[in-house]
Amino acid sequence: MSIFQGFPDLPGPNETAFCKINEVYCCGNVRHGNISAFTNTTNHHPKINVTRDLHHHRLSDENISMYINVEDKFLKKISSVWYNQGFLEALSIAADPSINTESKLLAVAATYALKVANAFSTFRYFLQPHLKDIGPKIVSKYSRTRSWGASSVKCMAWHPHATKIAIATADDGVRIYSSDVSFVSTLKCKSQSHVSSLSWRPYSASELAVGCEQGVIVWTVDPNSMFTKPSSSNAVILKRSGHSPVTDVSWSPNGDVLISCCGADTSMLVWDVAMETAVPLRRVAGGGIVFARWSLSSNKIFAATSSIIFRVWDTKSWTPERWCARGCRVVTACWGPNDVVLFAAKGEPVVYALRNIGLLNGAKDSKAQPVLDVTKVELVSGYTIGGPILDMCWDPSGKYLALLFEESHIIAVFCTTQMMMQLNVSPCCYISGIDNEVPSTIAFQQNFTEGACLTIAWSSGRVQHFPIVYTDLY
Amino acid sequence: MGDKNEIFSERLVKAVIWDIALQTFLATLLVFIIQIDVIHPLSWITSTLEDIISWKMLLNVILLGLVSFFQAYIYGKYYTSPVPKYFTRFSMFLNIYTTQNLVFTLLYALNGYFTLILYSSLAKSNFNVLKKMCEDSDGQCLNEQSLFLQLGGMWIGLFYFLSAHIFNKTVLTFPHIYQDKFQQMKLVITNVVATGFQRSMKPVGYFCVFYYFWGNKPRSVVSDVYSIYLEDPPLDNIINMLRSGIWIGLWFYASLFFISVNAMRAVFNIVLTEPMVFSIESDKNLTLCSALAQKSQFTGFLGAQDFRILAMTDQSRRLQIFTLSQPGGHPRNWNGLLENSLIIIKEFSNQLEAINSDSNVNGIKDVSKRNLLNESPKSSPIGYSGSLRNMASYPQALDIKNIQENREENTFVVGIKKEFNNFVQRLCQKPGINYFFGELTDTKLKFILLQAQPVMWTCEGLAHIVAYSLKEDKYGVVQNDLPIILSALINLKQNLEKLSKPGLIPRKQILNDSFAIRSKTAILSVVKRSIYKIVITFSKYIHEIPLDPDVQLAIQPFLVCKEP
Repeated sequence: MSIFQGFPDLPGPNETAFCKINEVYCCGNVRHGNISAFTNTTNHHPKINVTRDLHHHRLSDENISMYINVEDKFLKKISSVWYNQGFLEALSIAADPSINTESKLLAVAATYALKVANAFSTFRYFLQPHLKDIGPKIVSKYSRTRSWGASSVKCMAWHPHATKIAIATADDGVRIYSSDVSFVSTLKCKSQSHVSSLSWRPYSASELAVGCEQGVIVWTVDPNSMFTKPSSSNAVILKRSGHSPVTDVSWSPNGDVLISCCGADTSMLVWDVAMETAVPLRRVAGGGIVFARWSLSSNKIFAATSSIIFRVWDTKSWTPERWCARGCRVVTACWGPNDVVLFAAKGEPVVYALRNIGLLNGAKDSKAQPVLDVTKVELVSGYTIGGPILDMCWDPSGKYLALLFEESHIIAVFCTTQMMMQLNVSPCCYISGIDNEVPSTIAFQQNFTEGACLTIAWSSGRVQHFPIVYTDLY
Repeated sequence: MGDKNEIFSERLVKAVIWDIALQTFLATLLVFIIQIDVIHPLSWITSTLEDIISWKMLLNVILLGLVSFFQAYIYGKYYTSPVPKYFTRFSMFLNIYTTQNLVFTLLYALNGYFTLILYSSLAKSNFNVLKKMCEDSDGQCLNEQSLFLQLGGMWIGLFYFLSAHIFNKTVLTFPHIYQDKFQQMKLVITNVVATGFQRSMKPVGYFCVFYYFWGNKPRSVVSDVYSIYLEDPPLDNIINMLRSGIWIGLWFYASLFFISVNAMRAVFNIVLTEPMVFSIESDKNLTLCSALAQKSQFTGFLGAQDFRILAMTDQSRRLQIFTLSQPGGHPRNWNGLLENSLIIIKEFSNQLEAINSDSNVNGIKDVSKRNLLNESPKSSPIGYSGSLRNMASYPQALDIKNIQENREENTFVVGIKKEFNNFVQRLCQKPGINYFFGELTDTKLKFILLQAQPVMWTCEGLAHIVAYSLKEDKYGVVQNDLPIILSALINLKQNLEKLSKPGLIPRKQILNDSFAIRSKTAILSVVKRSIYKIVITFSKYIHEIPLDPDVQLAIQPFLVCKEP
């Protein structure tokens, strides 16, 4: 029997789910309904709607044709291409006979130099085939956000101690919404492009790490400042050659070190941000490190590679334990209380749990336990749910687990309880969008004391807070 | 005293052994690569093996061993003694010309010379003799290429010493995460080999320029002494030098020298910075408490590092701290640790305060000089000498008492002393004298900040222990001392913030050393994080803790998560 049988029915055609309060699934009219009619726990939460016209246009391949071509001097053209796009692009410009009409000698030299460079890069790609994709392609391939390239919200992160959320939008700006100020700060600088991940520093009110194409940008946003657009002098760029594009950043729960991962780099970097030094962690096999997740106690790190291999690092000795997923790479993972980690492989509708890794029984052949089977089913209302998992979030108390599916547009929330080393998963509720909305990405609020609050970014740009309130009195 | 250096010397010996192993491996690799012969792989391997077990290799290993010991000695000299406090240009200048440095210079030049000769002999090239048989006539001629290489070797050794030890302060930097030694070596070796070839370019370039201008002098001296003459075209000519290709040889050998020296340095760093586990209670071994007491010494560093690791990860030792001593029921372990860690924090805080008050006095003086008609600012330096400078609260009775005490001490001798000090200070203010003998506040600050690492660890360690005490501390051992810890941390934070407040510091004091600037941000960030950790953990109970009104005020932004 599918686990989806136990869920309450989806709200009616003109209704949408607002919250769940003490086991009561609260739905209301799409137009007139209001969440404050049910609960006031999210009254002060920032109201967020990321619409397209908020975005500033950035120069991309699509809109470059809007600009009129100006004939530059050849040298100037080459130097500007070199400055903007790099040496190899400049070489190819110089070698192109249609552009370079002035200096034949340079064209011939450039052609040969280009041939040599190409031979080198072919050899390099032969050795490391995972490097072939270029920046945004890598990010979009490994991103847990649905259609990352086109989505209006690229990723989001709740502050661990305050009701403050950072949202990366399609124009590569990062907007910070806070419950106690009415304005929105927008963090933007020239090198911040293709934002893949965000992470707030624990035990700090101001520091936000942004993983992007070039590397990691650590912003310091003074919470008392009234500037809506902090200058780039508040940002520190951490980069290293070969470590681009960054596909994931995560602070340790103690806030002392930052880990950055790059899908094209086989080592993950552990940064001491203030000193701007990094220690690479690398082991043979597995390809690029796609993402890393710290356990809540900061004792372990789950690191997924672009192949079936994933590792669980011990942060005391900094040694890994190697694991293999069955079939495909691990697409998402999350830690819960008592060092339990849940993960799902790409294209597979199963959630696995891994606990007290290797230590408890000392057995070498310990296996991850499947705890949840979410094979695709069709509901009575005609919608489908389940299938391969795209993203997964566990709330900080370890009571609720939200799943985002690749092929279904409904979010499923499960209740999880840990009893005597056994993880029980039971149905909780569905969350669906209004009209044809598709969920892009989800995140649990970190400091919600009344239960759990799931924040969903929909494809329309609407950001919904879905509180699951639970009082002990009930 | 014995204990103090025991750990350090033990580690030095270990580092030397590791280093010899690594250098032997590198030399073997070099021989293997140099004799590459793909067509005859068997003879390639046999000749390599022959060379590896030959006397040359043995000599090389012995030499490398000697060099490692010598390096260990230097490291010992630099790291065991506290950082010297030379804060005037004059004393810094004098400090360069100590006998120790002169001896080291000589030794390093010799080191470069021998390393070069050995590597070239391993590479089977004939550069270790200055003479050769003449080709056109009978007798012996000067082999100028050997001369060039040998002089170059000395220069490279000298250059390394100057750049690594004289013009840059050697600071033992502890990595923020400590991986297994072998992994670190693997990482370091690839890095060292790659950068070695780059780094040697500059000194080789300098040497070529030097030889172009003054190369004829050593050549004539050598020819005179051995009474041999030059047969080949002289090398102090650009075309001849380029054509001979000897500069490539020098570059290659210099790179090998840099690789070997940097690998050695990296090995020393790796072995020396390994975290050490101290016991909490012990009669025989050094305890964590006494390790912490050795502040800026090497053992003090290890102690502070272990304190942080213990606080973050080691539950069993944490529980040991939270226990009471059996007869008496006193939290002896905790008290000892707290006392020592507070001393570390407070001492650092006081040093910063001294710098801050220096600049404040200067600032006030400047103001009064500029507009004599105006009254000098009301805030007397005594107002700043308290642990907190609070604009909002009224002056407290304690401060008034302090002022009175100070007045009573104003006797004749003190007056004379003051006058003399003032005179010296005024003399130091004179432009020319000030340049050489004036205290450089930024250098002073830099030296203080270079020692910030153990303070950072101590803050973090304290914060974590305090945070864990909420759940693990059965007897409430730690919570008693919460006010003292918080006020020490807040005090340190405020002193650090004063450093960067615009207007308070004269312009010349602004740091321009990137390492010191980073250390400053790092320690400020650590202190804030530690306060956050304590305040957030105890946020529910914070009003029950008897805190000073100043401290209470200072932690408000932390409570509402508004402190940047």
